[in-house]
Amino acid sequence: MTALLPLLILMTSAVPAVITFFLAEDSHRLRNTLNLAGAVLKLALIVFMLREVAAGTVYETRLNFAPGLYLLLRADALSLLFLTLSAFLWLLTTVYAIAYFEKEHDLSRFFGFFSLCVAATTGIALSGTLISFFIFYELLTLSTWPLVVHKQDDKSLAAGRSYLSYALPGSAVLLIAIIWLESATGPLEFAMPHPLGGLEEASLRAIFALFILGLGVKAALVPLHGWLPGAMAAPAPVSALLHAVAVVKAGAFGIVRVIYDVFGIGLVAQLGVGLPLAMLASVTIIWGSIRALQQTEVKKRLAFSTVSQVSYIILGAALAGPYAVIGGLVHLVHQGLMKITLFFCAGIYQERAGITRIEDLGGIGPRMPWTSVAFSLGAMGMIGLPPMAGFITKLYLGIGAIEAGAPWVVAVLAGSTLLNAAYFLPLLYRIWFLPGNEDLPVAPAPGLVVPAAVTAAAALGAGLFAGAAMSPLGWATLIVTREYMP
Amino acid sequence: MIEGPILPLLSLVWPLLLGVVASLPPMQARAISLLPLAPLPALAAAWAGVRGETVVPDLLLGAVLSAGAEGALLFGMTAVLWFAAGIYALVYLRDTRRPAVFAGFWCLTFAGNLGVFVAADVATFYVSFAAVSLAAYALVVADGTDEALRAGRIYLVLAVLGEACLLLGLILGAGAAGSLSLPEVRAALVGEPVAAVLLIVAFGVKVGLVPLHVWLPLAHPAAPTPASAVLSGAIVKAGVIGFILLVPEVPWLVPAGLATAFLGAVLGLTQRHPKAILGYSTVSQMGLIVALLGAGDAGPAAYHAMHHGLAKGALFLSVGLVAAAAGRWRWLALGTVALAAMSVAGVPLTGGALAKAAGKGALEPWAATAVTVSGATTTLILGWFLLCLARQPGKGRPSLLLTVPTLALALAAIVVPWWLWQGWTGLPADYPLHADTVWSSAWPVGLGLAVLALVALRPVSHVPAGDIVIWVERTVRDLRHWFLRTALERSGKVRAPRPRAGRAGVVAEVAERRLLRWGWSGTAMVLAALAIAGTLLG
Repeated sequence: MTALLPLLILMTSAVPAVITFFLAEDSHRLRNTLNLAGAVLKLALIVFMLREVAAGTVYETRLNFAPGLYLLLRADALSLLFLTLSAFLWLLTTVYAIAYFEKEHDLSRFFGFFSLCVAATTGIALSGTLISFFIFYELLTLSTWPLVVHKQDDKSLAAGRSYLSYALPGSAVLLIAIIWLESATGPLEFAMPHPLGGLEEASLRAIFALFILGLGVKAALVPLHGWLPGAMAAPAPVSALLHAVAVVKAGAFGIVRVIYDVFGIGLVAQLGVGLPLAMLASVTIIWGSIRALQQTEVKKRLAFSTVSQVSYIILGAALAGPYAVIGGLVHLVHQGLMKITLFFCAGIYQERAGITRIEDLGGIGPRMPWTSVAFSLGAMGMIGLPPMAGFITKLYLGIGAIEAGAPWVVAVLAGSTLLNAAYFLPLLYRIWFLPGNEDLPVAPAPGLVVPAAVTAAAALGAGLFAGAAMSPLGWATLIVTREYMP
Repeated sequence: MIEGPILPLLSLVWPLLLGVVASLPPMQARAISLLPLAPLPALAAAWAGVRGETVVPDLLLGAVLSAGAEGALLFGMTAVLWFAAGIYALVYLRDTRRPAVFAGFWCLTFAGNLGVFVAADVATFYVSFAAVSLAAYALVVADGTDEALRAGRIYLVLAVLGEACLLLGLILGAGAAGSLSLPEVRAALVGEPVAAVLLIVAFGVKVGLVPLHVWLPLAHPAAPTPASAVLSGAIVKAGVIGFILLVPEVPWLVPAGLATAFLGAVLGLTQRHPKAILGYSTVSQMGLIVALLGAGDAGPAAYHAMHHGLAKGALFLSVGLVAAAAGRWRWLALGTVALAAMSVAGVPLTGGALAKAAGKGALEPWAATAVTVSGATTTLILGWFLLCLARQPGKGRPSLLLTVPTLALALAAIVVPWWLWQGWTGLPADYPLHADTVWSSAWPVGLGLAVLALVALRPVSHVPAGDIVIWVERTVRDLRHWFLRTALERSGKVRAPRPRAGRAGVVAEVAERRLLRWGWSGTAMVLAALAIAGTLLG
């Protein structure tokens, strides 16, 4: 069982993906059942695994293709942090997507690639070697593209081109970094301590920079973030996937892996590359916020907000104090929960009320109360208002920055908090307090509203019960105390 | 799961549950009737005098509830005041616009307000403070008028600024202390001037320390009367407990507080709206309390704050009472106002006189004199308030549900300080009766009344409520325009009226557009990577 479970979890997304491709366009019920069943089964398996891993079990699947070439799936605590998030959000996004599209065109293609994306993300989370990681990372890049261009209009196609023109060079750079490193050390497994002494410090620094360059594209580090706002042309479930479930998270997760499981914090400190990375993350945080403030479309504002928020994860990882790492890791989950809520709601506003621009949001709150409450909770979390999850992140990152001897980070957090307030509060003000056009039709849609309400409640719960052992914070603490700073 | 006494936790959770109940469809229309129920467990906790620590490891970052003497005193006062205001609201807010929303936020604000007095760890304190600060916004804007929305906007901007400063201050403190426990953070803050200043700004917003006071005179007239009462009586005390729990002794707070005390009173004289005058009066009284805190005098400061909460609550409630009373009822109403006003002014033998007597001991002589003299300005501003209030129209016979809470608070303001006097100050029971104590509180009142006669004959010219906020608003509007203009211009809505504005925005925009044209630069990135690799390998 312990050897099979990771593979089984991968299959719960991969098998529905493959079958869905071959389903007839109008077999809605079968397709929906298949996808939902896969998501539920996956979540159940992961919940089982969470308990076991918390108790200390390690799950490992080794697939040998050729001598010296193998795929390693390994579930450690860090994998599970990402895996649980993506599986939970996949289920909700599937529910949302089914209601969102109802009977639109090309749905077999959509859901097929959608599941494939999630399978790739699962693979990224479970990868035990750099090469396995890279394979799934590439699969993610390629399987996301059909989703971005799903609408097949000019805007989507342009967004797709932009996405590929960023993502493919990024992957190439990542591959160069991996080959360079492994040419000196041999195959790298994350779980095993591997001395990188065979390389000079300058080379190691360059390799680190290449890793960051390659992974930074997906993590939307400034100046590699240009594709993300453009990708807003895609339908709302895809935005949820890009911003919360899979893509940007894969980049941030990869950077965490590189710092902690490839180089190790000792070496990162010795090379002195942590500080520049923290600074780059800080620049991204502020830049993303400033750009968000300048947007007039809801989804664009949210997109730039993602640019800013994902870098919290990288900031925490780069600072490398225990509190900072916990703050960064836990934000992987917190940002996912909060941002997917916001995108779900933005999608509802667009689909059910025809609102895309911020200035048209007036008076929508009283007319769509559940959606708007969820949106407000998500926005409050992004600002860092308690008891939403976001404030836990900020508190931990701030304390961690002081521990790590980088008090300037606290100023970055302050600036980001104020900027977040400046670009989210006016939205909430419009939603709840300004009069609007009462004639706009509002069609209720439980399939859209329920996922948004669930993620909003989860973001609230993650903050309110952060002290619980199985909260995201509890799990992040477990990762750090067990694996990185015992 | 929960260690220690459960009543403090119940006091916080119960109002939250009521808030949820209020939002359920069957209750929505009658939600206001739930308001008096919210403080019941808190009243029980205050009455029973719960001691000891409540620890809930799963909640937040391991929530610890434990009130010190000052916290417990203000906790009790807060419960009483919200209870009185809740009963008053039964009649006053019978026909409010959105009862469920109001009741929900009322309960949330109340829970936060209690929370700040019992919190003993950083996360619980921060969460409670945010709840009381931000949820109160909904109470301020409950009427939905343009005036209320503007007041709310200013309130919210300052509240968010306060939140940000509080978070930073707490982060710096917790980082320095290596602990989340408030007493340890406080101890660590002694050597952290930056954190101390941040916290002073955070709590200064709440207590209305000049120049952070501008929200008070705007928010109080805008809010419905029961909300104004709890705003001035209890919510601003969240700042007081913040100072007590976290800010180490800071000498310059004494002059800052005293300046606030006098400026608040003088600015109050420029107002005509009774609740705006009371808002300035609160600024003034909180200035005195801050001065006591600056001198390291937490006990008397809390004692003073307790008295002020009850008395100011009565004064605000009386505004609605007077408006609902004609004929002889009007005289009863105005009598209640006068009673509470005398107590705040510190007429000998009232609670206010006791509060001042208790505090002076620890102050330096010049500051003690200033506190004595402030009795004159307080008398002046409250006399002016009475004159303005008496001019307001009134009709009918007030409901008992309006009269009883107001009168009860006014009497409590006079009696409770006597009841607590010895246990709290340690001074002899007859100290307030000494001739020099009586004289030092009597002459400022007389002086104040004399000046009032002059002011009544020649009123001071009017200054818009919120004074300096007018300039700030204008500046912010210009800055916002400067910053956002590029976005508007690009969408073709504005044709560059002032080309020099918006430079920062243009730079960001252009840089971003360059980045977006990165089709070619992906290749460049790969080439650069190969170049790095090549040079270093070779």
